[in-house]
Amino acid sequence: MKERKPKNFFVQGPIAASFIAESIQDHSSRTGIGAHSIFLGQVRADRIDDKEVESIEYTAYEEMALDKMHAIREDMFAKYDLACMHVYHSLGNVRTGEISLFVFTSAAHRRAAIDACQEIVERVKSELPVWGKELFGDQSFQWKANQ
Amino acid sequence: MSIHIILFGRLADIAGSSVSLDNVADTDGLVRALHSTYPALAESKYVIAVNKQVITSNTSLDENSVVALLPPYSGG
Repeated sequence: MKERKPKNFFVQGPIAASFIAESIQDHSSRTGIGAHSIFLGQVRADRIDDKEVESIEYTAYEEMALDKMHAIREDMFAKYDLACMHVYHSLGNVRTGEISLFVFTSAAHRRAAIDACQEIVERVKSELPVWGKELFGDQSFQWKANQ
Repeated sequence: MSIHIILFGRLADIAGSSVSLDNVADTDGLVRALHSTYPALAESKYVIAVNKQVITSNTSLDENSVVALLPPYSGG
């Protein structure tokens, strides 16, 4: 197996809808692909007591996250018959309604694309050293907890 | 020997994003020293990574060790 340098998958701020559209367009020449699966994580305006989340400030242990993502990538290509996979995660401030996680898998057939996409999302949430600080309108905050 | 420790998330709110400790030989000693300086850390849930690998038992440290304290992840 060839050794690849971990690719930086962090994006400063929100992930733009136009970037997602371009990512899909970029695959139009890959005619062996018959199925794409996409997961988009959007910042939710959770209400806690009488306060509402306005944005999430993401931080990460970036060097470790890149190594982890590289390992997840290798596992996915070993387990599923994927043509390609792309993962992008925000760092810094992302407001409610904006996208902070973009997982994009492609395969000849739908099953591999769908199953890999789902597994990547679960592993991103449970294995990547990334933290979200939920910011409220009154300058207060709480640390996000994944369910 | 000085060990450099980086902290993330809510742990950085308690002790700052980096701390240096002298005279610690292993992670058990490091935890004892940190908890005595920052009692709120003892109340917090976290795992320790040495050189980007999460450890599950006491691990010896040298001056090149990169120690990170990681609270529960909440990405996505």
